[in-house]
Amino acid sequence: MANLIKTFLLTDLLKGLWTTFKNQKPSKVVTEQYPLTRPPVAERYRGAPRLNTHPETAQTLCISCNLCALACPEQLIVVTSERNPKTKRKDLTTFTYDLSRCMFCGLCEDACPVDALELTQDFEMATYTREGQIWDRQMLEEGPLPQRYTH
Amino acid sequence: MPATTQEPAAAPADTFLDSNELVLNMGPQHPSTHGVLRVILKLDGETVLGTDCVIGYLHRGVEKIGENRTYQQFAPYVDRMDYVAAVSNGLGYCMAVEKLLDAEVPARAQCVRVILTELNRVASHLLWLGTHALDIGAITPVFLCFREREEVLKIFENYCGARLTTHAFRIGGLQYETYDTFEKECLAFCDLMGEKVREYHDLLTGNRIWVKRTKGVGILNADDCKTYGVTGPLLRAAGVAWDLRKAQPYCGYENYDFEVPTAESGDTFDRYIVRMQEMRQSCRIIRQAVDALPSGPIKGRVAKVIKPPKGEAYVSIEAPKGELGYYVVSDGSLKPYRVRVRPPSFVNLAALDRMCRGSLVADVVAIIGTIDIVLGEVDR
Amino acid sequence: MEELLANPYLPPLVMTAAIILVFPLVAGYIVLAERKVLADLQVRLGPMRVGPHGVLQPLADALKLLIKEDIIPAKSDRWIFWLAPVLSTFTALSAFAVLPLSDRFFVADVNIGVLFILAMSSIGALGLILGGWSANSKYSLMGSLRAAAQMVSYEVPLGFATVTGIMCAGTLSMQGIIHAQLDRGVWGAFDNYGLMLVPTVLFIIAATAETNRAPFDLPEAESELVAGFHTEYSGFRWSLFFLAEYAAIVVISSLCVTLFFGGWLRPFPNVAWLETALNTAFPAALFAVIGLGCLRSSPRQVILGFKLVMLALGLAFLAVGALFVVPAVNEAVIGLFWFLFKLAVMVYLFIWYRGTFPRFRYDQLMDVGWRWLIPISMGGLILNAIVQLVARG
Repeated sequence: MANLIKTFLLTDLLKGLWTTFKNQKPSKVVTEQYPLTRPPVAERYRGAPRLNTHPETAQTLCISCNLCALACPEQLIVVTSERNPKTKRKDLTTFTYDLSRCMFCGLCEDACPVDALELTQDFEMATYTREGQIWDRQMLEEGPLPQRYTH
Repeated sequence: MPATTQEPAAAPADTFLDSNELVLNMGPQHPSTHGVLRVILKLDGETVLGTDCVIGYLHRGVEKIGENRTYQQFAPYVDRMDYVAAVSNGLGYCMAVEKLLDAEVPARAQCVRVILTELNRVASHLLWLGTHALDIGAITPVFLCFREREEVLKIFENYCGARLTTHAFRIGGLQYETYDTFEKECLAFCDLMGEKVREYHDLLTGNRIWVKRTKGVGILNADDCKTYGVTGPLLRAAGVAWDLRKAQPYCGYENYDFEVPTAESGDTFDRYIVRMQEMRQSCRIIRQAVDALPSGPIKGRVAKVIKPPKGEAYVSIEAPKGELGYYVVSDGSLKPYRVRVRPPSFVNLAALDRMCRGSLVADVVAIIGTIDIVLGEVDR
Repeated sequence: MEELLANPYLPPLVMTAAIILVFPLVAGYIVLAERKVLADLQVRLGPMRVGPHGVLQPLADALKLLIKEDIIPAKSDRWIFWLAPVLSTFTALSAFAVLPLSDRFFVADVNIGVLFILAMSSIGALGLILGGWSANSKYSLMGSLRAAAQMVSYEVPLGFATVTGIMCAGTLSMQGIIHAQLDRGVWGAFDNYGLMLVPTVLFIIAATAETNRAPFDLPEAESELVAGFHTEYSGFRWSLFFLAEYAAIVVISSLCVTLFFGGWLRPFPNVAWLETALNTAFPAALFAVIGLGCLRSSPRQVILGFKLVMLALGLAFLAVGALFVVPAVNEAVIGLFWFLFKLAVMVYLFIWYRGTFPRFRYDQLMDVGWRWLIPISMGGLILNAIVQLVARG
């Protein structure tokens, strides 16, 4: 009997309606208006790659050991270097990183013995060309410097 | 077709005079085939006489890629199979290689692995609930579920730097140590879920339309499940309490106190209830694991260059969608000789025809939703 | 000129032209309201980019639909494909002719007003069926077949509920129904000692099904049939279907408001001391609150244009609110205000269901219609007839 009354009074449906009605409180809105409010990005976020330089001398930290290129599953890093006759060390000449194939797994970052290659918190990497996705040493060191759109 | 206990509703005899039949292509571009699944439906009016799944639209040859990558390099690829439960995939693969290497994983790493996989289970079930409800026509739960899933993704992002394809685990343990507020955030999420599950119940469980749409729809009984090799919530909803976390515990699951929710009839409503309860149980495991989180190293003694001895290993874990197995064969070189994945979605999808026969077009959508497939995993 | 002004056909013609010109814009804003309310129900924001809080979104959408490529499927029945949306829109807009927007704003007060609306909404179903059939697509065909079956089934309980309302009012004229409620001093929904609530609830349920809205939106169930009967339609033709759908919602809601919620009457129409509070203070306060809300939001907008639009909107709402304080203006528009206010509540209800309920299955829909709604609506009719006979003699 009680069930019959409930069936006719549509209590189950009203309960659902009340649940959605309560959602209308403006404080419950979870939308982030992306370009206006930028999402907080975690410290460990694996985003655009960066080739770190020494903060004072602006010399690259990269020792051209090629470990990142070996670690990369997609083999998208190419490191070239030439032997410096004075120091007997390898000097970095070019460093290319093909972002279009990158899956941001972080293996290159893990492999780097000197913390030169790092995946940063920057996530805006769109370009108009495929070639633009291939970052050279300069781009990797300076960052893409994207234009920040407000709307 | 394998022998089943109860023959599916037979299609009427094909005569050339019978013009009632309609062949309808559902997908690969269809709003509710959960990706690029193509289902060819044979219809009589709205009644389904038979279905045929066409898969492979998302085939990327992941298993073949595995033969051309080193053991570590392949780890990020497995995340891209069941991208909704990337952590579980990573766990299965890492455990398989660890078995090959006979490597020990430290207790702390085990515990963090449990926390992250259980969080991922909740996230996967939330996504399933949202899309399943959307298929049945309730358009609000999907947003509520994504709101809660976001909290899990935030924990993942803070922990390993990625939200979806996490690459959270490494062979032999973990790469990342937990962050400062990790434990607090996990517990906060468990509390939040307890509250929100009640909201989903209010919206759906009691709702007469929801009950009508799901009760008695897509019944798959225990015998059928065993015949088709169906695992996961589908099997448990049919009354078989088979959960690999209990049946063959891994990662220290034997230390946690949790139940395996089961139901009786194996219809869509039961599968819904089982998954809802599993979310609660997962939260229970997370709470225990966070409380018991030991200190210590996070990575076992594993060489930088992984070169397992000749041999093979099969490891299966309880992924959110069912039994996820990794079979890795080593020929003693740097790269696996063969990697074979036993994806739960692929195996469970095989039962679609069995569940759909005799139901209506609207049920097909509900049944595809209730199997909880991810096409990345089906097609690999 | 004077002769022209004295022409009795002039006011209806002007009203007709106004409705045809204004309604597409109104429909656009109902769509915006739907998107906004749905977003609220779903903890989202909805359109926020075109104008502040998306207030210019309907204009952008209309522009987009107008300049979109018009595709007619190669193997479709071109004439019928062309005819279907026109038929739908035409019938839906025709029904506006008898809507009693207020005691002085209406096109015609015919003595079969209710019948006319029901007739038009029945013919409107034909547009859906033709559109789905002519597109030569399986999804469209299934959608249109569902539409046909659904419309036929749910017109019966809708008809019974309507008949109960008519019986209570004693007339088929839309204005007459409202006047009857004024005479009896109670809204139709609460008449006959509250027994009229049964047909009221049934009417709302059947009306939802009749307009193909969730949870009865089977003809266009997007998760099953992609888009149902209008799968193959695009651009302007599609927007005509859309327009027809929203016109149908407005018409059926108006019918409900007229039959059961007192049309353009204010609540408690015969309680004199509520006159000022409800007829002057309430609308003025309502518009003032909306206006102040806009003004408050104006400085928060980032873009200068948005600030100005918000400022203008706020001032406009305040001005409208102020107009309600002027007795002469108040008297002229208060009926319209109450009618549109009730209509808005009804439309909100429609959106609210859509945001909450799952969709029925085809057989369940028929089951609910034939096994529950029709017997209950028949019972409600008989019960109300007996009560009316006993109470009114």
